[in-house]
Amino acid sequence: MIKNNKGEKIISIYWFVILFIVAAAVVYMVISFYGEPYDIRELEANALTNKVAMCLSNAGYLEEGVLGADFKENFIERCSFNFETEDIYGWGERGQYYVEINFYDFLTDQKNSTIKTGNEALKTDCGLEGKGFPFCLERSLYLLDGEKNHKYQIDILSIVRKTEKNVQ
Amino acid sequence: MRRPINKKGNILTQNIIFIVLNLVFLLILVLFLVSKSGGAAVLEEKYAKQMALILDSVEPGMVISLNMEDAIKIANKENRDLDDVIDVQDNIVTVQLREKGGYSYSFFNDIDYGNDFSIYLNTSSRKEYIIFIEP
Repeated sequence: MIKNNKGEKIISIYWFVILFIVAAAVVYMVISFYGEPYDIRELEANALTNKVAMCLSNAGYLEEGVLGADFKENFIERCSFNFETEDIYGWGERGQYYVEINFYDFLTDQKNSTIKTGNEALKTDCGLEGKGFPFCLERSLYLLDGEKNHKYQIDILSIVRKTEKNVQ
Repeated sequence: MRRPINKKGNILTQNIIFIVLNLVFLLILVLFLVSKSGGAAVLEEKYAKQMALILDSVEPGMVISLNMEDAIKIANKENRDLDDVIDVQDNIVTVQLREKGGYSYSFFNDIDYGNDFSIYLNTSSRKEYIIFIEP
């Protein structure tokens, strides 16, 4: 505390209180901002959807054998996916990805086939609001089947959880 | 009530002390901000996630250059071997700028480190890492 000759408080205790409050506010804001992890799940889900779409299509046409049973069973290998994750937060037992592809006849709107892979339980959390829920992305594309001359609408649902590393 | 004028120049001294203390206070806050925003932990997370996203989206034959100048500065300060800053095990990429630290993130693209792609430091600039995907 600095006083002049006549005892007037030049820098009083109140000044330090104000300094402390401002410093505490700045520290709190900085820590809460930089303490928050980067949330890249939307980018991951987009990349996942793009990779699925590229795997299914070839220049606007359905890739050969996509609607067959073999492709459905070996989807992960055929499209070069690896859904293994870090073995922390219980991720080893609980998959962090889910992909569902529905093939519809474009004219009749009838479902032809479905491919599902990953942790299907994540699907129940889609649409729920809150920080602890996975990120879900739905996209559609239209493809032609060159052999049968069919038109297909393909709905791709991509889900990425990884909540602990992207949201706090 | 009018204050008496201080002929000894106390007012000036007081003002200088006041301004200096304010500047010191501001300087401490700025240093805190800079240390937080450019900290090793933040950069490890940022580059591990960036690397994972790149590896998710790569196509055969791609060559990608990732500028990591700020991270490399920290790794040099911490005496880390720049060849060990980025490590890939199976489909998990780890960026480690300090001895006790590191951040890992998984990617879903089934590509094999060493066979399908490699990551190495650009030896001419020493500021960026090159991600080379086999054709």
